[in-house]
Order: sequence, then C-alpha cells, then structure tokens
Amino acid sequence: MPDLFDMTLEDKLYRTRYEPDSDHPHITVKVEVCRTCAEKPCVLLCPAHVYKRKPDEREVVLVSHDNCLECGTCVQVCPTDSLEWRFPDGGMGVKYRH
Amino acid sequence: MSTDQDIFDAIVVGAGPAGLSAALRMAQGGLNVVVVERGESAGSKNLGGLLYTTQLEKLLPGFQEKALREGALERAVSRRRIVYLGEQRQMALDFGAEVWATGNHTWTVHRPAFDRWFARQAEDAGANLVEGMVVDGLLYEGEGTARRVVGVRLRGDEEFRSRVVLLADGAHGLVGQAARREMGMGSSHPQHFALGVKEAIAMPAQVIEDRFGLEAGQGAALDFIGEPFKGLIGGAFIYTQRETLNVGFAGRLDSLRKAGVEPGDVLDRFKRHPEVRRLLKGGELLEYGAHLIPEGGIDCVPQLAGNGLLVLGDAAGLVNMSLYKEGTNHAMESGRLAAEAVLAAVAAGDFSRAGLASYETGMAASLAMQDLRKVRELPAVLEGAPGLLGDYPDRISRLLTDWFTITDEPKEALQKRAVKQALGGLSKLRLARDLYRARRLM
Repeated sequence: MPDLFDMTLEDKLYRTRYEPDSDHPHITVKVEVCRTCAEKPCVLLCPAHVYKRKPDEREVVLVSHDNCLECGTCVQVCPTDSLEWRFPDGGMGVKYRH
Repeated sequence: MSTDQDIFDAIVVGAGPAGLSAALRMAQGGLNVVVVERGESAGSKNLGGLLYTTQLEKLLPGFQEKALREGALERAVSRRRIVYLGEQRQMALDFGAEVWATGNHTWTVHRPAFDRWFARQAEDAGANLVEGMVVDGLLYEGEGTARRVVGVRLRGDEEFRSRVVLLADGAHGLVGQAARREMGMGSSHPQHFALGVKEAIAMPAQVIEDRFGLEAGQGAALDFIGEPFKGLIGGAFIYTQRETLNVGFAGRLDSLRKAGVEPGDVLDRFKRHPEVRRLLKGGELLEYGAHLIPEGGIDCVPQLAGNGLLVLGDAAGLVNMSLYKEGTNHAMESGRLAAEAVLAAVAAGDFSRAGLASYETGMAASLAMQDLRKVRELPAVLEGAPGLLGDYPDRISRLLTDWFTITDEPKEALQKRAVKQALGGLSKLRLARDLYRARRLM
C-alpha cells in the first residue's frame, strides 16, 4: 500500500474504476495540426497524463486513452483544435463510485 | 417516417441534477419524457461532494427522510471552515455547529449514489431513463430563423424524435456546444473553465467525527486558500461523508497554464501541508477523478432557449464560483423552470423559442441568475487582485501570530511592531481598492 501522501498518478489511477474501450480510441490527434503547436498545454494540464510528447518529433502522441477521466480539459486548452474527441461508447470509460 | 406515437414530448440529454429535475417535473405533469445518459448509470461520470438542497425540496417536498433512508445523503453539514494555509502558519475561521445541527440545506453526498437515487425518483414519477447510451448530436429541420431541433441522434445512428430537447449534458457538453453553434445560441464571452481534481479517501466514521469535531451523522465542509495555490485562481476543499473524505483542488485552467503547474501536483502539495496532513493521515485512497467546472459566470451564460431547444445547468454555465460554489442547486432550479416552460409549450402547442419563452423569463428572475448577477465581476476581480486569496490572508495570519508571540516587550510595543510588519510595503490606495473588490468574494 503506497503512502497516501506519496502516491504516483499511476497508483491513484489504479484505484479508479474503468471499463476501457481499447479497440475504439475515443481521442485522435490531428498530427499535422498538432505539430504546429510548440506549447502543448495538454501535456501539462491533463490530470491523467494521457498526453506525452514524442521524444524526437514535434507532434503529441496519446500515451493511453484508457486512463482518460473524460474531463475535457485537453479539448478546452488545445490552442490548435487538433483533438478529435468523442465520448466512449455508452457505459464505457471511467465509472466513478464516490 | 415517425408517427405521432413515436415522438416524445421531451428528450433530456444527461441524467445529472439539471436533467433529472426537468424530467421529474415534466413527468409529474404527465408528459412523455426520456432521459438519455451516456454513463453506465446516472452519476457514474460525476464528482462532487457538497449538495445544497433548497431546490430539491421544491421538487420533492420532504425528500430528506426518504433520501437518508435510501442512502442518497451522507452527512448534514453542521460545520464550515475557511482556512488560510501559510508556509509556517495557518489561520482558520470555523463556524456553524449546533445552530445547523437540525439542517442547513447543505449535505455531503457521493454523487454516483445521489444521482442514481434522484434518477429513480424521476422514473417513479413516470420518466423513461436510458442509461449507457451516447447522444452524438441533435436532429434539425427547417432553415434560417425557422431552424428547429426535432430530436437526437444516438451512437449507432438510431434516432429519438421529440417536440423539444433539453440539453443538460454538463460542463464537458460536446453535444450542447455543437448544438448552440448550429442554432446560433452563443454567449457574450467564451467560458472560463476550472479543473477540479479530487480524491475519495476512506476513513472510519468515528475518526472523521473526532478529527473534525462532529456529532454522529453530522458533517463538515472545509475550504482552503493560500500558499499551496500561490499564483493560481483556485483553492482546495475537504468534505466529510459518512466513511470517506472528499479531498480536492479546483483551479482555473488559464492560471494553471500560466503558472506551468500540473493540477495533480497542486493537490499533492495541498495534501502534504502539515495542517492538511493531520486531517488525512491514516486514510486510504479509494478513487481519483477529475471534472471541469464552468466558472466564467453570467457573462458566459448562453442564450438559454431556441426553437425546440433548452439549455440547463452546467451546460449553461450556471455556477456561482464564489465561496458558495453553488452549482447543483442552480442546475435543479433551471431544470424545474425548463420543465414548467415545456408544460406551457405543450398546452399552447408552440415549441418555438417564443413558445418556450417562459424559461428565459423565468431564469432571468431565478435565484440562480440573481446570484450570478451579484458575482458577475468576481472572475475579473480574481484575475486583477490575486492577493485577495494569498497576500492579504498571509498578512493577517502574520499579524495574529506576531500579536500572540509572547516576548519581553511591553504589549504596546509588540502590537505596534506586529501591525507595522503586517502592513509593510502595502499602499493604502491599493488596500482600499482591493478591500472594495473583496466583497465580491462573498
């Protein structure tokens, strides 16, 4: 059991219940447009670390849409409108209990 | 071709407080209503721990006993605390207690449990509830000013048709945003969103009651400002449920971006503050989540009605972002008023914007909009005077600790020094201006 005050995000997300729809990613990045953005605020602000910079390229890659908490932060902060974001299929995705 | 029998009187998108209030009231009025919810069940995409219930009381008089018995409510808030967290000091204002012991229309809840219960009340009144179904868009007919909404398109290209659609699809309401663009129902300003990140932490009831100074069954709501949120427009909270704590941070996205800090790191910094650590220690994390909050206020509220279309709750930005942090109550009021407008439209057989106009007039006079009008300037105040949540409370907490740090000095000299230090480097003009602005926080 990790200490409550020293949990990594991975530790935390492990406690949250999901039913991932792994075969149908609900987020796709329009790579050509994304590449024009230097700041990439999605990487900083996504509370589930879904986005990560590709090491050698300028575009963003999705790390894991299965971790998505469906909050919509990425859509709000994307300066170039590069994200095609649709809800996971009915009953899929994050399932909060508390 | 749809026959008349296939057409619902109303389709509600989203089974949260706004949508369910509307569905409940319309069903009570005998309408044929369906609520479409994308989550596995109502509330499964929702977070939040504090619920004001004055509007719920209007919808379901005497709901409290039943809701408690059926596990929809957690603790009646008998105690509130506003805490400033400094680097080596803290300062708290703790109020309420016995005066609220018999209820203050303020409850802690688990939103998944409460929303499920509320959905059941709507179903019992005759509303249809379809859970686990995504609405991907709306159906339109007509052109120009005659363009109207006639139903919803479901995932998998099935359709539901209706006389009116109520958009209660929340802060991250993709369907609502697209529909408002389509129908030209914009707001004067783009919405400002805050991001809330929240942990549910398990703790035995007895420990919660001892730690927060509560009688059995009573709850506490704590709001925090100060050093962990330096440079940000935001703060943190702890709400006590029966055997869990809701611990979270909510901050404006633009301020997080400008400061270059991750929301989750701010929550961790808050949890590790000695004052907070004492409250949480020994707890076990059950769940982590995140949700957007529309905090732009009244200037970001869109046109609320169009032909065959009404916008409710968070989808309409009906959140009072002051210390009240009132959203669900406003959502329920908008749901009730929307339902009454639909009932009037059904009676008159007119589902155009004009036929639904009583929603817009009702909302203009609503408690929600009166409160949003009162705090209209708050977003600008917080942007213009960040010291209100940081520098000023820090000065007051310093004054108090200096005042009560016992030395060999005579008290007169000690107090003079404390006051001088607290006011150091502060222009009287700025102080007067900021204090005038501070009233907006309330």
